[in-house]
Amino acid sequence: MSQQSLTQAPTHGIAIQPKRTAIGFALGPLIVYTLLILLAIAMLFPYYYLVINAFKGTRGFAADPYSLIPKTFTFESIIYAWDKGRINVYLGNSAFYASIVVLVQTLINALAAYAFARIQFPGRNTLFMGVLATMMLPYSVLLIPTYLIVWSLGLANTVSGVVIPGFASAYGIFMLRQFFLNIPFEIEDAARIDGCSRLRIFFQIILPLAQPALVTIAIFTFIGEWSSFIWPLVVLSNDKLYPITVGIALFRGEHSMYYDRVFAASLLATVPLLVVFFLGQRYIIGGISLTGLKG
Amino acid sequence: MSQQAVIGSPRGRSVPKPLWQQPRKWIAGYLFAGPAAILLVLFSLISIGVSLYLSFFDYDIIARGGPFVGLGNYREALFKDELFWTAMANTAVYAAGVVPGITISAFLLALAGHKITHGKGIFRTIYFLPSITPIVVISLIWVWLYSPQGMFNQFLKSVGINGPNWLIDAKTAMLSVIIMSIWVHVGYYVVIYLAGLSDIPRDFYDAARVDGANWWQEIRYVTVPLLRNVTLFVTVTLAISAFQVFTQIYIMTLGGPGSATTSVQLLIFRQGFQYFRMGYASALSWLLFAVIFVLVAIQLRTTRSEQIF
Repeated sequence: MSQQSLTQAPTHGIAIQPKRTAIGFALGPLIVYTLLILLAIAMLFPYYYLVINAFKGTRGFAADPYSLIPKTFTFESIIYAWDKGRINVYLGNSAFYASIVVLVQTLINALAAYAFARIQFPGRNTLFMGVLATMMLPYSVLLIPTYLIVWSLGLANTVSGVVIPGFASAYGIFMLRQFFLNIPFEIEDAARIDGCSRLRIFFQIILPLAQPALVTIAIFTFIGEWSSFIWPLVVLSNDKLYPITVGIALFRGEHSMYYDRVFAASLLATVPLLVVFFLGQRYIIGGISLTGLKG
Repeated sequence: MSQQAVIGSPRGRSVPKPLWQQPRKWIAGYLFAGPAAILLVLFSLISIGVSLYLSFFDYDIIARGGPFVGLGNYREALFKDELFWTAMANTAVYAAGVVPGITISAFLLALAGHKITHGKGIFRTIYFLPSITPIVVISLIWVWLYSPQGMFNQFLKSVGINGPNWLIDAKTAMLSVIIMSIWVHVGYYVVIYLAGLSDIPRDFYDAARVDGANWWQEIRYVTVPLLRNVTLFVTVTLAISAFQVFTQIYIMTLGGPGSATTSVQLLIFRQGFQYFRMGYASALSWLLFAVIFVLVAIQLRTTRSEQIF
């Protein structure tokens, strides 16, 4: 791009359209929409099958597994998966693990982020660098030693063992610190003059202000914890404690002959996250957009 | 005598006490940051130490002990264990398929989605759906879709093609996993690229048009360079997670047929938690770390050396 054109042409604020023929004008968007719609169908059709196959029933499915239009509709597979398949237990476990991790992690992250953003203490910057450095470690290297630490603490195959490693997140601390750094000093100073202790300032002023950031991180943590597979697989061996991810893999192992039940279990496993997604959509999309921009 | 910041002894100092001598000010810092720091130090920094230390032993977790082997584990992996190299090659193939596949697809889709006026949100939601579905569930559905009499082959048969045996044929198994992974993750990166595209000021495009650029040249000389940071973020993130692929392989093929889809992470899992050779598994994870590290370093170095303007 030549410097000359930039200074000569008065382009600022004026949209300049490239030359287009009448056909080009209509064809462009048409091609784009067609492409997008075709791909949307490609994205959705596995879900379509998930739903109809979950409701086809064992005989209906066996007779007719691949049809697009189901000939039968029954709740029997779902009821079987929920009850005899113990999916209700697994879902309950997932909900419990995810909720605990979200609550504890949010609190611990927020406290630490606030300290790094607003409290001066010796070694603060080094400690923060250390926290950030832990983000560089790939999960692969951490898996075995984390297991050994948890196991040597006697927490293998326990609820604590599943959730405690998730109680702090360097990423969450980093994001929240960014947010806290942007909160104007005046707000805290005003509270300090009024005699508020640090703790009160934190809980009654800072946290409410940080609500959007906290909700966004909470949603991501929830989804991440719900979806976690390899850690519960490794640390648990008691069937009653499995979250839905491991539970459904186990279920598939036992019921691969009746894949309608596997579909039913899968549907049950997917619904909670879909609900979370639709409720928290703007937080999720907002959060991801920020991630990519900040690099 | 200035009134400011005179703290300490009642006789009144003219120089304020250094920070570290005023515990009331900073003890809150340690209390607040403490839990997180302890947890992260415990589970990350100590973990690296333990892992590295263990990698020099042939540690059997059942027997709770094992002989010191020095670099023996590493030697075994690199020179005696064929499966290690197979797994490394498989993982590299997987990454080579998935990283460009997702990056390019997400970029193109975001370009398309960026230009339309209606339904942007709906498309974004639809593409994003697989990202919030547990990958275990997606894997189970796709196993069924990939079965020899399954949906894909039925569809191909209806247009007269005899579909391959996807997951059962060693030649197509990894490709099948790659295709599925691209499908799962594209939406997430479409959202990232959409945000990046929205950030490019119109002025750049206007300036390009004044210089007579057509739509292709616009993309090549304005869009792509300005998205360089986003693309770097995307490729690095994807590379790091692609090299650690585990769940979909565990569910769909368990590393098979034979060892056609065995990834390094699957190998680590097997050695550590099925054969209980934690020392060897630790050594494997360090080798994987080394590969990831070098790869990311190359990516960062290559991008930094090119200037945008």
